[in-house]
Parts: sequence; C-alpha cells; structure tokens
Amino acid sequence: MTWLRDLGLGIRFAAAGGREGWARTALTAVGVGLGVAMLLVASSVPHLLEQRSLRDQAREEAAVSRTEGGVPKSETTVLRAGAATVYRGREVEGFLMRAEGSRPALPPGVTAFPAPGEMAASPALRDLLASPEGGLLKERLPYGITATIADEGLRSPGELYFYAGSDSLTPATGGHRLAAYGDDTPGTPLTPVLVVLVILICVVLLAPVAIFIATAVRFGGDRRDRRLAALRLIGTDIRTTRRIAAGEALFGSLLGLLAGLVFFLVGRRFVGHIEVWNHSAFPSDLTPAAWPAALIAVAVPLSAVLVTLVAMRSVTAEPLGVVRGSGIRRRRLWWRVLVPALGLAVLGLTGRVDEFTPVDPYPIAVGAVLVLFGLALLLPWLVEACVNLLRGGPPSWQLAVRRLQLDSGAASRAVSGIAVAVAGAVALQMLFAAMGDEFKQITGQDPARAQFHTYSETVGGDAATRTIEAFRSTEGVERVIGTVETYVTRPGKVEEGEITPTTSLSIGDCATLKELAEIGSCEEGDAFVVHPRNNKRMSDWMDETARKGKEIELNPTIDSNPGARSVRWTLPADARTVTAAPDPLGEEHWGIMATVGAVDPRTLPAARTVAQIKVDEDVKDVAEHVRNTAARIDPAMRVAALTSVTRDRQYESVQTGLRFGAVATLMLIAASMLISQMEQLRERRRLLSVLVAFGTRRVTLGWSVLWQTAVPVVISLLIATAGGLGLGAVMTWMLAKTVTRWWLFLPLAGAGGALVVAVTLLSLPLLWRLMRPDGLRTE
Amino acid sequence: MTPAGSLLEAHDLRKTYGPTPALDGASFSVHPGEVVAVMGPSGSGKSTLLHCLAGIITPDSGTVTYGGRELSAMSDAERSALRRSDFGFVFQFGQLVPELTCVENVALPLRLNGVKRKQAERTALEWMERLEVEDLAAQRPGEVSGGQGQRVAVARALAPSPKVVFADEPTGALDSLNGERVMELLTESARTAGTAVVLVTHEARVAAYADRDVVVRDGRSRDPEYAV
Repeated sequence: MTWLRDLGLGIRFAAAGGREGWARTALTAVGVGLGVAMLLVASSVPHLLEQRSLRDQAREEAAVSRTEGGVPKSETTVLRAGAATVYRGREVEGFLMRAEGSRPALPPGVTAFPAPGEMAASPALRDLLASPEGGLLKERLPYGITATIADEGLRSPGELYFYAGSDSLTPATGGHRLAAYGDDTPGTPLTPVLVVLVILICVVLLAPVAIFIATAVRFGGDRRDRRLAALRLIGTDIRTTRRIAAGEALFGSLLGLLAGLVFFLVGRRFVGHIEVWNHSAFPSDLTPAAWPAALIAVAVPLSAVLVTLVAMRSVTAEPLGVVRGSGIRRRRLWWRVLVPALGLAVLGLTGRVDEFTPVDPYPIAVGAVLVLFGLALLLPWLVEACVNLLRGGPPSWQLAVRRLQLDSGAASRAVSGIAVAVAGAVALQMLFAAMGDEFKQITGQDPARAQFHTYSETVGGDAATRTIEAFRSTEGVERVIGTVETYVTRPGKVEEGEITPTTSLSIGDCATLKELAEIGSCEEGDAFVVHPRNNKRMSDWMDETARKGKEIELNPTIDSNPGARSVRWTLPADARTVTAAPDPLGEEHWGIMATVGAVDPRTLPAARTVAQIKVDEDVKDVAEHVRNTAARIDPAMRVAALTSVTRDRQYESVQTGLRFGAVATLMLIAASMLISQMEQLRERRRLLSVLVAFGTRRVTLGWSVLWQTAVPVVISLLIATAGGLGLGAVMTWMLAKTVTRWWLFLPLAGAGGALVVAVTLLSLPLLWRLMRPDGLRTE
Repeated sequence: MTPAGSLLEAHDLRKTYGPTPALDGASFSVHPGEVVAVMGPSGSGKSTLLHCLAGIITPDSGTVTYGGRELSAMSDAERSALRRSDFGFVFQFGQLVPELTCVENVALPLRLNGVKRKQAERTALEWMERLEVEDLAAQRPGEVSGGQGQRVAVARALAPSPKVVFADEPTGALDSLNGERVMELLTESARTAGTAVVLVTHEARVAAYADRDVVVRDGRSRDPEYAV
C-alpha cells in the first residue's frame, strides 16, 4: 500500500512538475517510445514471416499435381512454366501460363486467366514496367498488362511477380500441368545453423534496445534526484524518496509505452511504401505476437521502477543536496566476469551443431545473452579501472579524465549498448564470413572467364546454332563459350542386362573447344576424344562409344522410341585423344568434341544449347541485354550468373544488412549518449561559467567533451571487439566452420569512432551556449 | 573627471536584462594593490558591475578600461586571454571543479596559461601553504569544508599572480569565523603580491577589509574617486 502511495505520489509529481518536469518526462517518453516501437516491430516478425509463407504456399501448385504421372488434362488444368528472371539485381518471378480448358484454375490474387500475349502483374512490376527505368525489362516481358495481382497473391507489396499467357506452351516445351493451387505440405524447418544465426541476430539487435530503454528511464534523472532533496527537507525518508523517484520514472515509461504504440501504428501505415534490400511488408503483416506484446507492456514499466531503484542506491538524497556515491564505492569484478564466462560455458556445453540434427535454441540463446549482457556488466568495472590509470595530459584531457574518475557510471551506462551491439555484430559478421567462404569453395566457378551461364533444353538443332550467334551479337558480350550438346550411343544391340555404351557429344567452334579441353591446335572439321583427368575407368567406358573410324548413333532416343530415326556419324580415324579442362563453371566435359565442320548441329534430332558468356562489365545494363536475348530465343531459358553471384549477393546483403542494423543501433545509442551528455553539460552550467570567467578557451572545453565521450567509447569498443571475437570464435566452432576474417570488427570500430565525433559535434552548440556568464548570476 | 593612476576603471556603464536595468550609469575605479568593496543590497547590480569590469559580459554602453586598453574594443578571445593572465576570481560557493583535486584546481588557471603541470602544481602548493590548506592538496572539493574550499578558491585566484582579483560574495556561504579568516588571507595575500581586489559584498563586516567602498544602488554607483 505504501508502495502504491509513493509511486502514485511520484506520478503526480511528474505530471504536475511544470514545464521542466514535463520536458523531462517527454524526453523519457520519446526515448522509451523509440525502443518500444523497435520491440513491437521485432515481435511482429514471426507473424510477418508466417503470413508471407502462407501467401507463398497458396500460390504453389497443389500436392495433387505432383503425383506420379501428373494430373490428366481437364477443363480446369493449366500448363505452367517458370519464367523467373533478374532485373538490375532484383528478382522478377513469374510463370508462362496456358489454359487447357474453359475453366482454368486461377492463382490467388488473380480474377481472370491471362490470354496469350497478356499478363497479370504485381503493382510493383506494373509500375516498374510503366516507368522509363523498366524499359529493358519491358523488352523481356512484352506482354500487355490486363490485370493486377491482388495482395493475397503476393509475398510482399514490393514483389515483382507476373503470370503471362502463352499459346505455344506445351509439355514438350517445358509446360508443367497443374490442377489447383495451394501447397499444404508443411514447410521445411530452418536448418540448425540458421537457427543459431537467427538467435544471435535477435539477441544482438534487441539487447541494445533493452539497454537503451533502461537508459532512457534515467533521462533527466539528475535533476529529478535533486528535487528529492527538497522532499527530504520536509521529512520524507530515504526509502520513500526512492519510491517517489521510481514513480516519476514509471510515469515517463507509461507515456513511453503509449508513444511507442503511436510510433508503431503510424510507422506501420507507411511500411508498405518502404523497401529495404528488396524486401517490404504489408501493414497487416506487422502485427505483434500477443505474448511478446504483453511482455513489453509489463516489462517496460517494471524495468523503469527497478532501474530507478537500483540507480538510487548509489544516490543519497540528503535534505541539503544530493550526494552521489558511485565514485566512492569500488565496483567488484568477480561476479561481472562470472556472467560472460557462464555464457561461454553454456555455449561450450551445447557442443557442435551439425547440419541435420535438430537444435535446441534455448541454451544457445541463453549462452549468447549471458555473454553479451556480461560484456555490458564488465564495462563499468573496466572503464573505472582504465580511467584510474590515466594521468597527466593537457587541461582538457585532465578535466575529462578526472570527471570520469569521479563518476564513470553515467558514461558506462550510455555506452554499454555499444558494447553489446558491436560485440554481437562482430560475432555475426565472423559467422557469415565463415559460411560465405565455405560456399565459395563449393562453387569453384571462374567469373574471370565468363559471368553468365545459359542453357535451354527446348532449343535444338538449327536453333541452337542461332542461339549462340544471337548471344555473340548481343551488346556488351565479349566471348561466348557455346556448345550444342547431346548424348550419343554405340550402334547395335547389347547383351541382355547390359547398358548401351553412351557418351556425350559437344559441338562448337575451335575457340570454344579450346576452353573445354586441352586441345592445342584445332581446325574446322576436327573432332576429339576427350578423356576426364585421372579417371581411367570413365575413360575406358566412353571409349566403348568413341571408337575412332567407327560409326556413332547421334539420336539418343533410338533405343527408347521404336519410331525414332537413326542418325549415324563416323568418328574420324585421325581424331586426337586429349584431356578435359574445367569450364568456367568449374566442371569437366568429356566425351566427343567436334567442330561444326565435323558434325553439323542442325542434323541432331535432340540437343540442348549451353552457353557461357563473358561480358564487358563496363557496358551499362549488359546483364539485362544478355537476359533479353535469352528471353527472345526462349522465354523459359535459364540464365544464371556465375561465381555464386546470386548467393554471394545474398550473403553480402545479409552482411550489409547486419552492418546497417548495427549502425542503426549505434545511432540509437548515440542519441542516448547525446542526451546524457547534454544533461551533464546543463548540470555543469555554473561550473562552465566559472571556467569561462577564468578565461578558459572554448576549444579546451570542446576537447574535454570529446575526451569524455571518447574514452568510454574506446574502452567499450575494445571490450566489444574482444568479446565479439571470442563469441564469434565459439559460435563458429559450434557450427564446425573456420574463422577466416578476424578483421571484420574494423568497420564497426570505425562506426564507433564516428559516433564519438558526431556526439561531440552535436553537443558543442549547447556547450557554446552554456559558456556564457548567465550561469554566474545568482539573483 | 576620471581618477588618475587607476588600473581598472569603468565609466557610465549601462546594462539591461530584458526590460530590467541592471546597471544604469555606473562608474568605478581601482588602483594597483588597492582593495575596493562594491556594496549594495541584493539586486542592486553589484555582480553585473563585477562581470562588466572583468570582461565576462559587455555593457550595453559605457567604457571599461584596463591598463589603458578599452575592454569593449577587444575580441572575446582577447578578453579571455586577459582573464587568464591578469585577472583572478573567487565566487560565493568556491565553484571549484569537483572532479579535480584541490591542488589541481589551484593549478588550473596556470595550466590554462600554458604552464607545465609540475611547475603549475608546485606554484599551486606554495599558494595553498600561504592560505593554510596544503593538507588538502590531494582531496577533492566534495571532501573539504566550505571554509577550506573557499580558501582553496582564493589560492586558485591568486596563483597566476593576477593584477586584479574579483571576489563575488566570497564569504556569503561561510560562518563569520571562517568568513573572517578567508578575508584576512585574501586581503593579506593580495596586498603582499600587489594585487588589486574588487570585492562584491553586501556585508559591512566584510567591506571593512577594503581600503574604500563603492556603493551600488538601482544600478548606479557612488564612487568617491569620481567627481560626478
């Protein structure tokens, strides 16, 4: 009851504190509000992902279409072929569609089936195609837009998606028959490795927000504490004053909750217009989950009360003034070291996580949280220990160092968020780097030789030759390693139970063949037998087909299709045997290689065209020109960027996202530091005036403010780097990866340095204003 | 007529804060080594006069001349340099920098003048000895009494060997015994060093330590040195 009365009294003081009281409360409310809004966004992520996944599954083909042998043609069946592409780094997903009856199944968000030459497009794609920026994409998707796909058919508002009608699509040309939409098979759960990453990302991004909120409830605390002295003068005991102070903080935090809700609701209205790294969300997707929202509603006011009560333990409000005891009471190290050590122990005991065993996320989350919060706990001790060692220096340095020696608590509080954010970001960057490096080792692709790889199953014979020529004449293309490929067999019957000897035939010009095998000299009309490197068994097997001076069957369907026409060709007796060389994809081609003069590709009954394309990357939109050529030849032709460009870019974007996320968190911390700095300056208004009276230069005090900000930040960055590298090493070990880039902390350390300069520069105007003699006036 | 041989003099100073006139034609002078008390009731403009004389604020009109130089003609940087080299200050509550030790506080004006730390602290200790507070050298202002703190503030004001010390109610926060001791030490030390003291006070007991009084009332001063 006493508690409630005192807290209520504090709330009344805060509400009736006049202009200054309201300014202080507003400061806390805005600070807490920003943090609460971020937490609400974070708590909406599960709902957002679930809704996206549901919409995604709703437009997948129904499981019934994927049954053995497929579904029979009917009035409702549809032929569909993927026609996804990439435009200026953005993925454009879509399908070519052909109705097989009068009542074709409609995908979600579409009200009418697109007629041939027409398409239903997402609003973002429609707008892009209508803009000058989408000119090159318009060439690739030359369909008339007759409908817009509604929200229920899209993953996100910014998604580029389409359904284009076709009158030439058949099962033979890549069309897949489907009877209905809606994939109800359960989604693939996240791999254990991703679970670990997601946990760490959540901890890293949310822990500083929690610290920020804890700091924000102390905004204006110094002045609030001074008022408590007045309460002591009229007979209030120390415990009551603490509870009253907690009541004032509670009021600010409650207003902060409301402010956060308002920020969130207002921000949500605009979320559909915001696109970050090609991702966006519908406002309705941003709905906080119930229990985290309830937790926020309870935890924020509760933490306001607890933080204030804990902070007030080092403040003694006497009737004649406030005495801060933090400079006198030495901080103890043992329990602060214990927390991160415990975290590392938990992670160590969890052991290694492999690709397949389901992982229990809780020990990992607890371990990571203990390590990161442990760093925040270690920081005040470390700042105190370090500043006590500092001596000498010019007056500006001396003023700053002595100030920190007297009371480093406020400075440590303000920068503890940096320690957590930077340590977490360093650990995550190390993990991503380790995973990214492993991925690169897998691909083995060589982007210096070619940047694009295309192949088409439906372009054979004569068209294949034209395809290669079309790529060669595309703007910006420097070289095409283009081959027409088929399987060839040894003619004649084979014994019962034996396999017909088979090998591949690749036809291309001499320049192309030299890229694929160690041919040496080559003239038009030459043919080669290409053996794999270090694989005698495979060489012997292919030699059973590639018999020099003997006939070879060029129609691979001759055995399976009784009506098929036999096409024979004789491998020249003087064909040289050479060794295969890896192509730009890192793959070896063996079998028979022939120049166009030896085998006319137009005679092949079935073939596929493969082209690896090297472009001049200085030519603007060269990738779009290549893709447009591919789409003109076959709208369903696959064009893949070499080198892992696609996946590497994903890694890059996640890494960049993380870096930006960390910088955004640092900005939140910078705001908190700035407010804390300004508060301290205001507190010292009179002292500053006295220093001005002495004739102290502005620059001296400016440097003093800089040092005062820089010293704790540098110490926090040191501990964050050490802690982050340690946590990153442990996490990397858990995922059985190797740490490859220790230097990844440097950009974050740079961001920390920029933060010091920014906070100092932003606090200088107030410093100049306070360096006026007004502070000396007492009357 | 202006007083001959004065070190610092002000003539017809006017200063207003918003609609309120703080100084309304005040004049003043002090000679080298002289202790002058500026007296008057609360709100009479004593402190404003002191701030104008020290070049901390600039008057709306009128002149302040120090060593033959017009203060209002100097830039802010020049006035700051003058305060560092030639002036010293003692305020009512000492206004020591709380994070610095007492000796560092006393050494601070010297250090701001570019004196090396060790030399500055040696000089500071000498002054602390003269003011009988050398035992407090390593302590912080929060750990010493009001009277001790004020003596440290006096040492700080005198350490750079200024030509003029401005003391604004230096005993205002002290009991009479401590106040008297501080005044004795301040005036003795100043006279020994040939330093002029401008002493703002509303207490006749404190003003008794001065060589002469200047009374300020409603922003106007009555300086016997001036023939009005």
